[in-house]
Amino acid sequence: MRRRIAAFFDSRLPLKDLENHLKKPLPKHINWLFSLGSMAVFLFMLQAVTGAFLALYYSPSPDHAYNSVNYISHEVAFGAFVRGLHHWGASALVIVVFLHLLRVVLYGAYKAPRELTWIVGVILFLVVLGFGFTGYLLPWDQKAYWATVVGVEIAGTIPLIGDFVAKILRGGEEVGAITLTRFYTLHTIWLPWLAFALVGFHLFFVRYYGSAGLPQNKPDEMQAGKPFYPDQLFEDAVAILVLFLVLAAAAVFVPVPLEELADPTDASYDPRPEWYFLFLFQLLKYFQGPLEVIGTFVIPTVAIVLLLLLPFLDRRERVPLRKRPVALTVTSLSVLAIVTLTILGGRAPKLEPSSENPPEQAETPSNIEDKHEDATPEEDSDDTAVFDFN
Amino acid sequence: MISETHVGQPKRRAFFKSGIAFISGLVSLAMAVPLIGSAIAPAFKKGQTKWVDLGLVDLLKGARYKKINYTFQSKDGWVEANRERSVYVTDEGSGNFVVFSRVCTHLGCLVRWDENKRHFHCPCHGGVFDQDGNVITGPPPRPLKRRSVKVENGILYVREV
Repeated sequence: MRRRIAAFFDSRLPLKDLENHLKKPLPKHINWLFSLGSMAVFLFMLQAVTGAFLALYYSPSPDHAYNSVNYISHEVAFGAFVRGLHHWGASALVIVVFLHLLRVVLYGAYKAPRELTWIVGVILFLVVLGFGFTGYLLPWDQKAYWATVVGVEIAGTIPLIGDFVAKILRGGEEVGAITLTRFYTLHTIWLPWLAFALVGFHLFFVRYYGSAGLPQNKPDEMQAGKPFYPDQLFEDAVAILVLFLVLAAAAVFVPVPLEELADPTDASYDPRPEWYFLFLFQLLKYFQGPLEVIGTFVIPTVAIVLLLLLPFLDRRERVPLRKRPVALTVTSLSVLAIVTLTILGGRAPKLEPSSENPPEQAETPSNIEDKHEDATPEEDSDDTAVFDFN
Repeated sequence: MISETHVGQPKRRAFFKSGIAFISGLVSLAMAVPLIGSAIAPAFKKGQTKWVDLGLVDLLKGARYKKINYTFQSKDGWVEANRERSVYVTDEGSGNFVVFSRVCTHLGCLVRWDENKRHFHCPCHGGVFDQDGNVITGPPPRPLKRRSVKVENGILYVREV
């Protein structure tokens, strides 16, 4: 019976070709860093699946979002676990994609003919950050609300079109009901479609050009290593299992934070972004007054453009890292800067609640629209104010 | 083309293949249980029964298929919702009341009492029930449901879940 079913599909689909594709040998000396791509694919799938199940209970409206998330965490069977996997999986995805990008940079794997793989990969990295930014508004707690207020203000500093972009992102003048449905739609429909298409292209390019291997691989070693299936895939599977166990343990033992309900009038709250945006949060403190736009727009834009153009700026032959002092220095300093800024941002002291602004009872979301203007970031201009993002 | 260094390792390859299958199965199962569990959880949730006030017995004396709409509080997910219901109340004398559910036993539309023809009919698929709630014609498989009621301190209560 099994043979007949197999024969049925064999005669109708190019399964043998597929098998040969999977068994094609990789370059020699592939190490565990080459599992990062598979780990990222796994995490994308984990986020898609856990997200699809969280969406069964989540309600994207300011009246219900917070309570529905609370309901998931406390009343739905396995809800806390599923939300935990999604929450910690998001952080893991940022880390894994970043390490993946670092590997490609340090091995010079972005060079010809793999420029397209690289460009799609950089866009995917931005998409992952977009998922993060749109995702953590959804619980509609204080962190969610204020991080979004600040994030959209950052977009608002783009020269000429900033105000326009900010209004489009918010769906109006202030962060509110329309912002929430927008972010929910971006997070659950637009970005996932985009991500799936980009991952598809990325994998196709990886397969089409073959693994870049290591810079020290000689041409005759490029197709002389172990096959992808089952050798490499087994190593990937072990890495994925370890990753999954860590995430599952985090989901069980580390409760996912849910702060107080979003309160646009609470000036005693110290807004802090999710950890993977802390470097930007910290960076923005160094550019004051008219220089603000350098931190909010110029540096991020230049960094993204440089990343996208990297294969065209560095056209030399691939050589081992020890022969690329400039690349090593620039990469190390960039990573050092990001890590340092992240640590400094994480340590930034929170302000004592001021006596003039005692913490107030969280308001109902219906009051958000009227009261928001009391608490816009522009109001506090000195940099010891609550909103010291500028 | 398989490289020379990796030829002749059928046992190793077989181990890798089983390993991949084992890990995929393990992770899939570890995901499937909580995910499907969370999705089907509402089916296992038992509601709390409560008795809802339908009115003073004195005012319902002699009622004949009297339509009564009532609301009661009940938990709907994270919302404390006002649920609305509609029933027909009939006084059978000596303190006995029959409360007919208006929910058609076919597919859940609300039946209507026709005073002239003295039967209930369903607006959806043509089900008709007699004055005792038994099916006369149409697709409904069972008689109309009679709701659990009690009389306490001169008040008629209906049981809600």
